[in-house]
Formats: sequence, structure tokens, C-alpha cells
Amino acid sequence: MTLKDTAGKLPRMDFKLLWMRFTKSPAAVAYALSALLFALTIIINPKGFNNNFIGSLILLTVLLAISSAGQTIVLIGGGLDFSGGAVMSAAAIFTSFTMDSKDGLFLQVLVMCLAMGAVVGFLNGFFVVKIGLPAMIVTMAVSNIVSRLQYVLTAGSPAGWAGPAFINSVIHRFFDVIPSIVLYAAVFFPIVFWLLQRSRFGKQVYLVGNNKQAAYLTGVKVNWVIIATYVISGMMSAFAGILGAGYKATARVDIFSEYAFTSLVAVIVGGTTFSGGVGTYGGTIAGALLMTVLSNLLTTLGLPQTMRDILNGLIIILLLMMYNRSKAVRQ
Amino acid sequence: MIQLLDISKTYGAVQALKQAHMTVAPGRITALLGSNGSGKSTLIKILAGLVSPNTGQVLLDGQEVFIRSGNDAKALGIATAFQDLSLVPMMTVEENLLLGDEPTRLAGMLDQGSIRQTVASLLERFSLKCQPQDFVQTLPPSTQYMLEIAKAVHRRPRVLLLDEATAALHQDEIDVLFKILRQLRNEGVAIVFVTHRMHEVFELCDEAVILRSGETVKSGPVSDFSLDDLVYYMTGQRMQEAAAYEGLTHKAGQAPLLTARAISLPPRVKDITLEAYAGEIVGIGGLEGQGQSDFMRALLGASQIFSGQIHFDVAKAQFKQPADAIKAGIGFISGERNREAMFADRTIAENIFAGNTAKGRRFTFLKKSAVNRFANQAVDTYQIKVGRIQDAASTLSGGNQQKLVIARWIAMQPKLLLLDDPTKGVDIHSRLEIHQILRQCADDGMAVIISASDTDELMDIADRIYVFYEGMVSGMLEGENKTHEHLVACMMGVCHIQPERQEGGA
Repeated sequence: MTLKDTAGKLPRMDFKLLWMRFTKSPAAVAYALSALLFALTIIINPKGFNNNFIGSLILLTVLLAISSAGQTIVLIGGGLDFSGGAVMSAAAIFTSFTMDSKDGLFLQVLVMCLAMGAVVGFLNGFFVVKIGLPAMIVTMAVSNIVSRLQYVLTAGSPAGWAGPAFINSVIHRFFDVIPSIVLYAAVFFPIVFWLLQRSRFGKQVYLVGNNKQAAYLTGVKVNWVIIATYVISGMMSAFAGILGAGYKATARVDIFSEYAFTSLVAVIVGGTTFSGGVGTYGGTIAGALLMTVLSNLLTTLGLPQTMRDILNGLIIILLLMMYNRSKAVRQ
Repeated sequence: MIQLLDISKTYGAVQALKQAHMTVAPGRITALLGSNGSGKSTLIKILAGLVSPNTGQVLLDGQEVFIRSGNDAKALGIATAFQDLSLVPMMTVEENLLLGDEPTRLAGMLDQGSIRQTVASLLERFSLKCQPQDFVQTLPPSTQYMLEIAKAVHRRPRVLLLDEATAALHQDEIDVLFKILRQLRNEGVAIVFVTHRMHEVFELCDEAVILRSGETVKSGPVSDFSLDDLVYYMTGQRMQEAAAYEGLTHKAGQAPLLTARAISLPPRVKDITLEAYAGEIVGIGGLEGQGQSDFMRALLGASQIFSGQIHFDVAKAQFKQPADAIKAGIGFISGERNREAMFADRTIAENIFAGNTAKGRRFTFLKKSAVNRFANQAVDTYQIKVGRIQDAASTLSGGNQQKLVIARWIAMQPKLLLLDDPTKGVDIHSRLEIHQILRQCADDGMAVIISASDTDELMDIADRIYVFYEGMVSGMLEGENKTHEHLVACMMGVCHIQPERQEGGA
């Protein structure tokens, strides 16, 4: 193939080659589509293009990217986690409930929420591995349980307020533009990168996702790895929920439930495959940006909520069709 | 009367059939014989409509026919009992037996009464004790094979194809089957019977067609052949009347690295005793499915043995999972590359590093350069032809893929390396390279156990050969005993060579 031969010597401007490389990188496509939709948004509503618009775009992208991290890991490992939204909501409720407008409780909240996420994740993983139920069914069921438990805690009404300093640590704008949530991202993103790309565990996740039987016969403790992906996913969703409470200041039941689906789409659009073994967190971040820009565009169009949801759904189907087509052919 | 003339078929670079021919007459049972990879199954699949030949003709009663699908075969009255079963595991016995052939009444309504009656009489005819409502996946393998045959027979075919139908059956079931087959023959059905068991040929069959390397080397009435002839035509080697020789204990004084004693693991492994010493290559021979794979997986801990004892490296070994065995110093290479060894979507570097990935602390930092260095070293050492080590492993050819898997393990330096038919579908050149690598490893002190379906390969590479037959060791060949004739004889289960080993030696 010419692709392989010329790949090493880039300087020669080969447009066709560059185009092929571009279309082979889902992250690059997602960024390009994001830029396109972003431009469209500004053209439609030039007045809306201000510091606040950029700031909230970054904030929402980071929040979605963080909430999609667990899903990325689980999907690469060959699983599926639909409980992310419920765990996020539960963590958010727990945060605002515990903080109750007081500061200085962050560490306590963090430990409790991560523990809660880990327990939910373990249940997911345990039922998937040991009982052998389909991941979608298990995580949906667990997700429902977590949702109902939120009612038990709050009786359905909004629960308390996050601490003011904590809220500020999420939504403060540096130079009036960049939201302070990027500081959390500066810690969180490298951890995920290390976990997936530079740790032995991450490599095991890829092997298990690509070929479970081969991984088993190569000596990978497959069940352990799969359960671990769900535990990590639960903890990461819980962390996203804490930040979500800071962003929304207060929380109610199922406040982030739509993140279960949105994060899944962001991960897929970012190049992680449903069949497992393929994908990167960098791609997921690009996917999160695309989903956020898309949602902004639909808001800018000024359509009623129902129309927005319908359009959003149609566009997502279109995106997924595009990505499914480029799936590599197996021998 | 069905005639196959000058049939050729290639799969990629592999020529499965080379102008093969076969004639199947009504009222005769024709044995289709040949060693592994001689093209028997391909010939069956051509008749069943699953495979189209590249060249050649199929004549039915002198008229050329084209069998392009299972439906075409059915329309021509050809029914097949497949080696790998065509039953739906999640459906019941009743549903499976009549699948696609259900008696119906007005408006396509299922005729339940007729279904019940038909199924009951079929089960009785085949002396099957299962219930019509049993799910097929809950039944023992031998019953499933009987059902597969019953399903084919129920179609009232003119031509009945049985591809290694008896391999999984018990003796009483074989008796029933033979009775039915003779009955069908007398009714004028043409039957093709593929088997590896020579005595069945003489007991049941009227005609024999023998394939070797895709060519029809001999055909004629069974009464024209002796056992010796059959084996000769199949393998190209004359079989000698082998007497049991005294074995050589050339490893006396040295403790074996691995001792497996009286291992049983139903249904395939019945009673296997085997030893392997550091520095030698132990071959495991036998026809396909005599328990080789199951035995190896038991050593690895991928399946738990039913009874027997395994000692590895002087300690008693009870590996719960492969990870434990690998930690203890065992490596495993499967010939089922795509299913059990390759990570096709991952890079070449990651594939080579996989053994290392599986071992050691999980949450440590792995430098990318370290992984690449490890991979580059293996690529250089084992001369794997790669574009870039960051390319997906699926870009490699089959032979290089297998070298990749072997490099993965040898780089880990296990004490014992298990290889389950590692050169299946690997070209001759890569095969030789793999042999050299293995010999080098053994010289460096590794114990290597390799199973192979190819007799030449075993003769070339193994110091000693254990021959498996129906889950037991039919012969252990070493020294002057290690001859092609002995190997073939033991594979057919017609000779037993068990050297008298001095127990004190080990």
C-alpha cells in the first residue's frame, strides 16, 4: 500500500494521503466537525459570540469529557456502562446534601463519593463477569437502583447547596474566559492518559477488549480486569458528579441522567468502538467537544426543547452511522 | 449415481483439492479416507453446497449439476451430517430435527400431531434417550452427533454424507448407527462415510476413495485393500508390523520438569501420562481431536482436570487459571491464531509485549520506548517481516503472525513452552524458521511440548513423541523406535508402544 510506504516521509505534500490519514483519525474528524458547527453557530448568532459563550463551552466540554472517561475505559475493555448518569446524579446530590452551603468538606465528599462509585461499579462488574449477564441490562438495572436510592435520600426535592468556595473552584473564570474547572482537568486528564496508555493495567484492558480468549490464555486475569474497568468507571462518574454539583450549585434527583447516553455517544464519536479493544481518551475529549458544540448550535437555533431533542437524536444517529462505516475489516 | 470429476479448489495459497475425483453409487457405502488436510472435508462441503470448486464437474446420474447452496443440495436429495454440527444449541431436539422441514397443515400451521409422531419414531430408530423438548446444548456431545445424523437421515436423502460421524460416538451408538446405515444402503441410498478409524472401513464400507494432498490416489472396492494398503495410500508410507521395543532412558538421573500422571478430563482426555525434561522437545502426535488440545489446556490451567496429578518444577501444580501457570513459568502458543492468540486490532509492538503486559504489577508506569525496544528486539531476533511495529498486527501474513506469537513467548523465557499445533496454516518457510527457534530454545534449557497434526513435522522436530489415540497414549516413540511407520500405526490405534521405563531413573 502506498500509505505504508510513504507514511515515514511526511514533508512531501500528498493531499490524498493527508486526507486518508485525517479520515482515519476519529479525533481529527470530531475536531473538524466541531469547528464547522461552531462556525455555523456564530454565523447564525454573531452576537452570542462572547467570553461567556466560550467559557461555558469549555466548562461543559470538560464536564462531559470527565464523565465520559469511565465509559471510554469500559468500552475499550469490551463492556458497556449505562449507570454513569445515575452515579453522577447520586454523587451530585450527596455533594450538595453534605456540603449544605458550607466549605471545607471537599475531601470528605470526595472520599465518600468515590467509595459509592466504586461500590456501584463493582456491582456492575461482578454481575457482568460472574453471572454473565449482558452489560447493557446489568448496568441499566443498577442505574435504576441508584436512581431510586436518590429519592430515598432527598424525598424528591433539591438537596442543599454546594459550598461557595467549591462552586467557585469550578465556575470561576480566569481572564473572564477560562473556567477554573480546567484545573481539575489538568489533574484528571493525565491520570486517565496514564491509566490507559502508560500503565500495564491499561494495556491489559486493550488486550481483553480486543480478544478476551487470547488475553486469558496469555495470562491476563480477564475477570479481574473487567471488574476493575467498571469500578474505575463508577469512581470517575462519581467524580464528575461532584464537579457537576459545583457547576449547578444544587442538585436534584436524576439531574445528570442524560449524561449516561451523551457520554456514550461522545466516546463512540471519539473513535472507541463498540466491539472493544480500540479507542483513546484523546478521542473521547474531541467527542465531548463535538457533542457540546452540537448542543449549543441547537440552542442557538431557538427551537423549542422538543424539536431540539428530536434534531439532536437524528444528528447523533447520523454521526454514529458515519463512524460505524469506517470500522476496520477483520481478516 | 453421483460423480465428481477433476475437482480443484484453492483457499488463498493453499490448494485443498487437486483434480480430485470420486464416484458414489446408490446402494453402496463409500469410505472417503485421507489424513488431515487431504481435502476430505472440502470434498464433502462441495457436495453439500457450502463450497464452490474452482474447476471440475459434479454429475448426478450423468447430468451436470451445480450445487451452489445448501438449498440446491437439498433439492437434489443430498443430506449431510457435519463434523462441526449444524444444530442450533438453544433450540429443542424436536425443533432441530425438523428444522426447515416441519410438516404443516392449512395456511402453514404447524402440524403438531405429525411433528410429535415423526420425532418420536426418529428418536426410537436411533435409540436416543433424550426427550423431544430437551434443549440441544444440554445434551452430551455423542447424543448431539447422533441427532445431527438423525436430522440428515430424516430428509430421506438419495445421497447421505457423514463427515467423521463416529468420532464422538460411543460403541453402542456406533452399533445403532451402522445398523441404520446398512438398512439405508439396502434401500438404495448412496452413502459417503468419512472416518479416521480403519476398522470401521472394513466393518461397514463397500468402496473406498483415498485422498492425499488433495488428489485422489486410489479408489476401489474395500475388499481389494488390506489395512496396510489403506495406510500406505493415505500416508505414502508402508506400515511395518511393529513390535514393542525396549525404550531408551536417555534422561536417566535427571528429574523431569513436568510430570503428568493419569490425567483424565472427560470427554476427550481419558488417561494420559507424560513427562517432559528440560532441554528436550516433546512431540504430541495423533489424529485430530484425540485429546491433544484438551490435555495442553489442562496443563495450562485453562480447564480443570478430573483426576490425575501434575507436577511442575518439582512442586505439585494446581493451576486455577492460565495466569497462575504462566507465573510459574509456563508459556502457551495456540495454533488457533485468530481466536486464541492474536490481538488483531492492536499494534505489532503491543502484540509482542502482550506476555509482559499480562505479568507483573498493574499500576506501574510503562515507558513507551521500553515497549518499543522490547518489540524491536524480538522483531530483529526472530526476523519477523514488519512494516512498522506501530502497524496493526492484522497487516502481517499468517506465518509472520505466528512468529509474532512465538516471539511473544520466547522473549518471556518460560521454563516450559506448550505449543498446540502452532504451524497450522503456516507456510513451509516460516515453519522451518519456527522449528529452528524452538530447537534453539531447547538447547538453551527450555522444555518444549509441541502437538502437531502433521507427522512429518513431528518427526523433524521432536526428540520423543507421545501419540494420542482416543484420549490415551497409544505409543511413546523415542530413539530407534521413533519411525514414521510407528507413528502412523500408533495414530491409527493399531499398535501400542510403551517402553519399559526404569522407575528409579526419574
